[in-house]
Amino acid sequence: MNTSRFFLAGILGVNLLGAAALPQSTSNQAALAKQSSIVFAGTVSQLGATSFAGVPKSAQTIVVRVDTVLKKPSAVSLKKGDSVTVELKDPSAFQQGTQATFYTEGWIFGSGVAVKELGHRIIAGDVASAAAAGASEPLVDQTQNQVTDQELQNRLNAADFVVIGRVTGVHRWTAPKSATPQRVSEHDPDWHEAVVEVQSVLKGAQVKGNKVVVRFPGRNDVAWVHSPKFAKNQQGIFCLNRDQTSGMSTEKVGGHQVTVYTCLGHGDSLPMSDAPRVRSLLKN
Amino acid sequence: MKALAAFWVRFLTLATFVTIAGFVFVRGQSPTIKVVDLIPASLSGETNQDSEPFLAVQAVNPEIMVASAFTPNPFSANGNAPVYISEDGGNTWVLSAITPVQRMTCDITHAMPTGENHPRGDLHAGTLACASFITLDESESNDVSTSAVMNVQSTRTNVDQPFVRALGISNSDHIYVGLNDFNQPSGHTATVDVSVDGGATYRSVPIEARKTSGQDGPSVRPAVARDNTVYAAFFGWRKFSGTVATSDVVVVRDDAGGVGPLPFQALKDPSDKLPGRIVVKRVSIPWSNAPTLGQERIGSTLSIAVDPNNSSTVYVGWADHGSKGDIYTLHVRRSTDRGVTWSKSDLPHTTIRNATNIALAVANNGAAGLLYQQLSGGRWVTHMVQSRDAFATIQDVILANVPANVPAEQFLPYLGDYDYLLAVGNEFRGVFCANNTPDLANFPQGVTYQRAADFSTKTLTDGSGSPVAISIDPFYFSVPVKP
Repeated sequence: MNTSRFFLAGILGVNLLGAAALPQSTSNQAALAKQSSIVFAGTVSQLGATSFAGVPKSAQTIVVRVDTVLKKPSAVSLKKGDSVTVELKDPSAFQQGTQATFYTEGWIFGSGVAVKELGHRIIAGDVASAAAAGASEPLVDQTQNQVTDQELQNRLNAADFVVIGRVTGVHRWTAPKSATPQRVSEHDPDWHEAVVEVQSVLKGAQVKGNKVVVRFPGRNDVAWVHSPKFAKNQQGIFCLNRDQTSGMSTEKVGGHQVTVYTCLGHGDSLPMSDAPRVRSLLKN
Repeated sequence: MKALAAFWVRFLTLATFVTIAGFVFVRGQSPTIKVVDLIPASLSGETNQDSEPFLAVQAVNPEIMVASAFTPNPFSANGNAPVYISEDGGNTWVLSAITPVQRMTCDITHAMPTGENHPRGDLHAGTLACASFITLDESESNDVSTSAVMNVQSTRTNVDQPFVRALGISNSDHIYVGLNDFNQPSGHTATVDVSVDGGATYRSVPIEARKTSGQDGPSVRPAVARDNTVYAAFFGWRKFSGTVATSDVVVVRDDAGGVGPLPFQALKDPSDKLPGRIVVKRVSIPWSNAPTLGQERIGSTLSIAVDPNNSSTVYVGWADHGSKGDIYTLHVRRSTDRGVTWSKSDLPHTTIRNATNIALAVANNGAAGLLYQQLSGGRWVTHMVQSRDAFATIQDVILANVPANVPAEQFLPYLGDYDYLLAVGNEFRGVFCANNTPDLANFPQGVTYQRAADFSTKTLTDGSGSPVAISIDPFYFSVPVKP
């Protein structure tokens, strides 16, 4: 009885391991890599353990020795030979010595790095193979302000308009008395307006007169530090939403009342060099 | 000849002794002073402006602490804003993304009382999330070490600068959140959110009773004594020109935890019989939301502290224009009769020119602590002052003395609109922000860096040897209370 149970478990285990070990489709890996903030190849050194104090230990946590770092934010210190705590989705797929590429997001940062698994790919063979597998994928060292594809995709989905345009003028905007009363706060946005000449619309309907007014915070307060600031003659790709923030959603331009937009989020203003990436993501 | 040699030996011995004694005396050094850069080793590559620090200490287990700053989530723009957690009394810290705010808060304060018996960190936080709208979340974590995201208990928009103090009483946490609430009618915006059930419910109590310029100043600061006496200080703005606020410094008091039918009305001013004692009337406070004091903005600097064992003694400190030629001057006053009367002038040694980020605390033995940052000779100098006699005599310890012109400001506030000081047992504990150049000359009491740093070459590295630019880091400190 016990023998047959072990036999069955063994077959299942081999199949599962085999399935995990099979190279997943490139598109799946690419999607996982895009989703992940930290990707590395490594070798499991401890099960049910953590690599530094301050990380809650559980059956889901393992310690992995890093063989190759494939992707990480620039702020994060992580290199070959470091021990990383990984919180796994399913610890049964791992044992000491298992080599895998880990697709993860950050979790806790202390004397070491702890991450949460988003996915993994078991690597057959030895450490050299793992390193080689890693070497086939380029190191992506994200700068702190770089917008990931995932973040940009989310932003494009949420935008009312995505346009390519050029800023023809910038001026301070003073809210009329009929608008929501402005309060004095260190987070006061100090609203400015940019007039953007639309050169092409990537998302949304055509714009009347090919000009839009974009309201943006001029203040360098912490509340608005990630909001784009506009300058005359600036050209770029702008993710716009109808203004629901400043208290006045329209503005008179050339005698006509026009809708005013905002462009407030990190990555709402992109350089022209991002045009192919934006077009590609908009197709998804 | 022998006599001459003996003279020189005695002279050199004495000189060495005097030099050492003088050094220790002048620096006010104690071997138990601790200064720690909070940035963990695994984030050695970061160059953020981690300004505006705050600190909470777990009341029954002071080894557990939570600190915060304008530190963004280090790996995702969509991830939660993090806090720093120590479980060993501040020697080491980890960064854990547990706040309910996406990426980075634009105001955060917190406290850890233990009325509800959550000994691993019952954290109550007030955070502002700044996206299209500024949103206040009042939230709780029952165990900060689990890394679970905090549970939001109350939320609303259109408020500013939440400032959390708390007290554990029997089986509940009493939480007081001072804030500037623009939803209040008649421009009476100075408000204290009161919860006496661990944050399950909050009641917003406006504490301004007089006519304002349309609103009060941003800083509203509560202070809680063990006997359930709650004070709050605020700037009652009477006039605002756009660059100058003409303001009263007002203190209110409640003797029963702020839960009665007329909360915070125990103090009346003799001039108009209205609730709220006016400590100073119509002072001129410069409002400059641009680099003004070095690279720092100015406009709303306020602190209040009550003796935990004698709620009759209360200190209030603020900044105003000061005298001619000053940019921003700190003042401290004291009341020993529950806020009814106040010292007529600044306490000795507490009129401090060109300084900001005042934070007051009172220790169990009645020692008053005063933390502040002064711009002096092109440097930001962080002082920790203590006194047992209302600042007549003081012990002044310099925690940091760093260049003020670097790094360049990424945003405002540069160092913070506030820093923070607490009294815990026989220690003053606190946090401040400063230029993080690894130079021992900048930290007269010594310093510990968790992040990779080479003090011999005065450079930061990313952990792999590559240099990292200087930035603003939060620093934790502990200083023994003057016996």
